[in-house]
Amino acid sequence: MTQVMKGVRVLEVAQFVFVPSAGAVLADWGADVVKVEHPLRGDAQRGARSIGGMTFDPVANPMMQHPNRGKRSIAIDLAHPEGRELVYELARDADVFLTNYLPSVRQKLGIDLEHIRAVNPKIIYARGSGYGDKGPDRDRGGYDMTAFWIHSGIAHAMTPQEFDVPLQMGVGGMGDSTAGMNLAGGVAAALFHRERTGEPSEVDVSLLSTAMWMSGMVIAPYLHGGDMMRIGLPKVGGAPVNPFMGHFQTSDGRVISLFVLVPDPVIRDTFEHLGLPEAANDPRFASSAGLREHSAEISDLVARAFASQTFDYWRERLKTMKGQWAAVQSFLDLGGDEQAIANDAFFAVEPIDGSDPVRVVRSPVQFDRAAIASSRAPEHSEHTETALLELGLDWERIERLKASGAIA
Amino acid sequence: MKPGTRLKSASDDTEVMVIRCGSGTIECGGAPMGEAKPAEAAALNPDFAEGTLMGKRYVDEAGEYELLCVKPGKGSLSVDGVKLVTKDAKPLPASD
Repeated sequence: MTQVMKGVRVLEVAQFVFVPSAGAVLADWGADVVKVEHPLRGDAQRGARSIGGMTFDPVANPMMQHPNRGKRSIAIDLAHPEGRELVYELARDADVFLTNYLPSVRQKLGIDLEHIRAVNPKIIYARGSGYGDKGPDRDRGGYDMTAFWIHSGIAHAMTPQEFDVPLQMGVGGMGDSTAGMNLAGGVAAALFHRERTGEPSEVDVSLLSTAMWMSGMVIAPYLHGGDMMRIGLPKVGGAPVNPFMGHFQTSDGRVISLFVLVPDPVIRDTFEHLGLPEAANDPRFASSAGLREHSAEISDLVARAFASQTFDYWRERLKTMKGQWAAVQSFLDLGGDEQAIANDAFFAVEPIDGSDPVRVVRSPVQFDRAAIASSRAPEHSEHTETALLELGLDWERIERLKASGAIA
Repeated sequence: MKPGTRLKSASDDTEVMVIRCGSGTIECGGAPMGEAKPAEAAALNPDFAEGTLMGKRYVDEAGEYELLCVKPGKGSLSVDGVKLVTKDAKPLPASD
């Protein structure tokens, strides 16, 4: 893939998933991303090794690979005066400073905007936060489970009103990775602006702003009208207003979802694909008004049709249908999804222990129709000395930094 | 030996960058490592054949030695016959 960010140097002082995933996107696009980690503990994400009842080996941990592929790791103690000086030296050479440290911590460590701009007035300073860099909650930590999912109203909106408590965010990191993509997009725009005008920008993205943007299509009408829709428990069958919208079970217990939003032009085509020629010829069902009026009867016909054949049968059969539909898949199914794979959905990174390659999802933007070529996440502190030598330090100073505990 | 020196294994593909060292003999696969590979490869000692991992740091208990693996191989790193161990980050456990 065209490395649109080739030559851009990014200094990342961030942990967990959100802001590191912005670094991962920039690395996917060809930027040189150097990640600063604590000399002893490393990125806190290195401790996230268990998911779905599985526990992964730290040297081949897919939960570390997703937000950190393609980077280098340098271990510096930011609380050490010489470590801080080193970060300034790295920042002097960087185009972008990426951080998700809280404002009070940035101040304490001397890595806030004014400190970094003092050594590099042209650097783009990009912050990721839970709730935004202004207001009473600017210094409040957040995960996507809190700021993105709960505080934003998404969990409330997604939860059937029959439940007393919100649904769990069943996809760990979904708010983080989306917010990270947004932050990478903001950084790209800031680089473009700096290229044209010479002016560097501050870039802010929060988990909350990401969730609100994702929901903006409904938030605007809800706030304007003062009311909102609540969903109910999902069930088999078509919607009362349109029986061609709903979930239907196949004979082998899988599910096909129909979403024929504008049915009028495709009523005959839909019935025929569902093996219901009599219904296709029934004058009562010939318009969307007719579908609505007889929706219970039609929903029943459609449900019985789906229940008479297998999931695979319907997936093949519906390929030529004009109305929209989708087969309910799991993430495990997605690993073999022909269409996803045809669009270079994954790339493999090689763990250092020679174990099976880890397939990681590529970032969503593709340039020039070509697959991303990247590499594994770095080992903790893997590049400390090589990156410092590249910066111009000699071994004598590296030894002193090491002896003082400023670097790993 | 100076920090920054690159050493090659005599018995396998391993290469390391010396980050910190004392005056003992640094070995891989049971054989001393050198700045150049010997004309004839040494045998890989089965007691020192657990393999090295790219990008990992290997240290001794006293903290006198630290080697950064820059090319992995089949041997194990040791100093005067005592195996080195990997230096790993110690993050707090987290679950998702």
